Amino acid sequence: MTGKLNVVLTALLVCCALSVVNARYQARHLFIDLERLQQQQRQLEIDWAQLQLDQSTLGKAERIEQIAREQLNMAPLTPARTQYLTEGGQ
Amino acid sequence: MKAGAQGSRVAAAKGVAFTKSPVLAVRLPDWRSRVVLFALFAAFVALAGRALWLQGVSNRFLQKQGASRYERTLELPATRGKIFDRNGLVLASSLPVKAVWAIPEDVLKSPPEKLHKLARLLDMPYPDLMKKLDSDRTFVYLKRQVEMDVIAQIEKLDIDGLDTRKEYKRYYPQGEVMAHMVGFTNVEDIGQEGIELAQQKNLVGQVGSRRVIKDRLGRIVEDVGMSREPHDGRDITLSVDSKLQYIAYTSVKNAVEKFHAKAGAAVVLDVHTGEVLALSNWPTYNPNDRSHLTGEQLRNRVITDTFEPGSTLKPFTVALALNKGVIKPNTLIDTGTHPYSTGGHLIRDTHPHGVIDVSTIIQKSSNIGTTKISEMLSAQEMWEMFTKVGFGQAPRYGFPGAVAGRVRPYKTWPIVAKANMSFGQGISMSLLQLAHAWLIFARDGDIIPLSFQKINEKPVGQQIISPKTAAEIRTMVESVVSPAGTAPQAQVAGYRVGGKTGTAQKVVNGRYSQTHYVGSFAGIAPMSNPRFVIAVMIDDPEGAIHTGGGVAAPTFAALAANALRAENVPPDSTVTDIIIPEHPLEESF
Repeated sequence: MTGKLNVVLTALLVCCALSVVNARYQARHLFIDLERLQQQQRQLEIDWAQLQLDQSTLGKAERIEQIAREQLNMAPLTPARTQYLTEGGQ
Repeated sequence: MKAGAQGSRVAAAKGVAFTKSPVLAVRLPDWRSRVVLFALFAAFVALAGRALWLQGVSNRFLQKQGASRYERTLELPATRGKIFDRNGLVLASSLPVKAVWAIPEDVLKSPPEKLHKLARLLDMPYPDLMKKLDSDRTFVYLKRQVEMDVIAQIEKLDIDGLDTRKEYKRYYPQGEVMAHMVGFTNVEDIGQEGIELAQQKNLVGQVGSRRVIKDRLGRIVEDVGMSREPHDGRDITLSVDSKLQYIAYTSVKNAVEKFHAKAGAAVVLDVHTGEVLALSNWPTYNPNDRSHLTGEQLRNRVITDTFEPGSTLKPFTVALALNKGVIKPNTLIDTGTHPYSTGGHLIRDTHPHGVIDVSTIIQKSSNIGTTKISEMLSAQEMWEMFTKVGFGQAPRYGFPGAVAGRVRPYKTWPIVAKANMSFGQGISMSLLQLAHAWLIFARDGDIIPLSFQKINEKPVGQQIISPKTAAEIRTMVESVVSPAGTAPQAQVAGYRVGGKTGTAQKVVNGRYSQTHYVGSFAGIAPMSNPRFVIAVMIDDPEGAIHTGGGVAAPTFAALAANALRAENVPPDSTVTDIIIPEHPLEESF
């Protein structure tokens, strides 16, 4: 009777030990994945900051004005040559 | 060998069998074996004790030593907060870069061609690089804030003793247009000027750290112990509008160039919220490249310089008298035809105006007129008015270097002080204070706090003058900007605007200079439903034109016209042709 119990307990112990090993292995893998994704997140944040900077640099009023004047031959609007359309035709 | 050769199986020496050795026959005393036994036992006990000590009691040291062989502390960097304009455009942002440092002794062992390449990549002359490496120290920064793509190339060179350290670089995409508003940080990421300095506490992040176990490949395997989360700095959204800021910047820049002035400044306030929409100075600087920075460029004249505003202050005295009920807009006042004497001083007008009403006093900017009005008021009343609108009061804008200006306590005012202050002499303030105070006319007589950050709720105002008085002043200052007033050049086609010019003599060596002036203009646009208060100051124009009406008024007009158009404010006037008289009326000072 005691012998049988011992066998069962030993088998159970071995199973538990193996599952611990497995769980540990998976935990490490998941952890490495998490690390990688966090790294990716940081990189994306940096890219986002870079793009915001680019947007601001390229959208500089100074640059827009220069391009509008020199390349597109545009001129500032004056009220003298503006027709205002108001509701009710006033 | 001999015995062995004889075939004996008994160990023997010198012919005597071992077991029969006489030495063994000697009976040793019993205690000797006991001593040995005891000594061995004691040695084992000592070992066991030591093992128990190391394992159980004093195990911290060893565990620490062990941990240091596989655990690493990682520093988790925190990014400095970004600064945005009111429309979400980035004005300042940090990106990771690297500092290149070297152990000179090791680096100098590399072949010279590699060092030449390094010098080129670092964008510094080879001799300069050598000078930096010629050092006894074991740690020398070669260059800080090197961008990542350059770092990649430097790492390819594979020079011994060269290493990098992570740091951040602050970028200012709007450059000199925003310089005085945003300010800048130093290489250590600490704010030095402007909002960067004012909001340093909020912008700066909190560095975190974590302890981890790394595997053979340097991958992080597990977190151990405590980790401190890094906290990025807070992002800040300013009240400034990039478009209006650019308009203010170009207006001031053009004016300074056109009138050969020493400097210029302009500020635009939102009438409804008290937000600073634009704040511009010339000369300015590029915050991304501060290698040739001078104090002149750095000066934020709008906030840190005080000046005597001159006639731009006249509406305040008149408003006080109107509010008190001692005069009405159509009250006639005799400004005479000669200089007027008060307190032993002569008050002059540039033109004799004779008997005119209060509105005309503002329109023609008569010093004698406002002097006579000031005589109906007490020094205390005037002082209270000036103090309530913020003159001489320590400003609470949350902006570094903001000055209070100077209003002397009324008890020490000489007799002529009331007259002088009625037309803006003997009192000093910053341009921002002047613009702030003008809010009482643009609004219905109340004043609201200024804000450099975007606000969502409308602030609660403090009533200074009645709404009726504010409206009367608005009508008066609109007449200033007419062909008959002192500032016809401030007219804006398509819009009704109003304002007041000011020309003040600069104080040079304690006396009023006859050749150096500050021309200023404070105004409201559009008149039908005030949206902006705009104040402009042109410092020391050296050309023939030096009055506020001549230099500051056209700058105001250019700024207001573009600002109204940029903000899609519907026109409230059908006048599209501006009439500017050939010889506009000069104001008095």
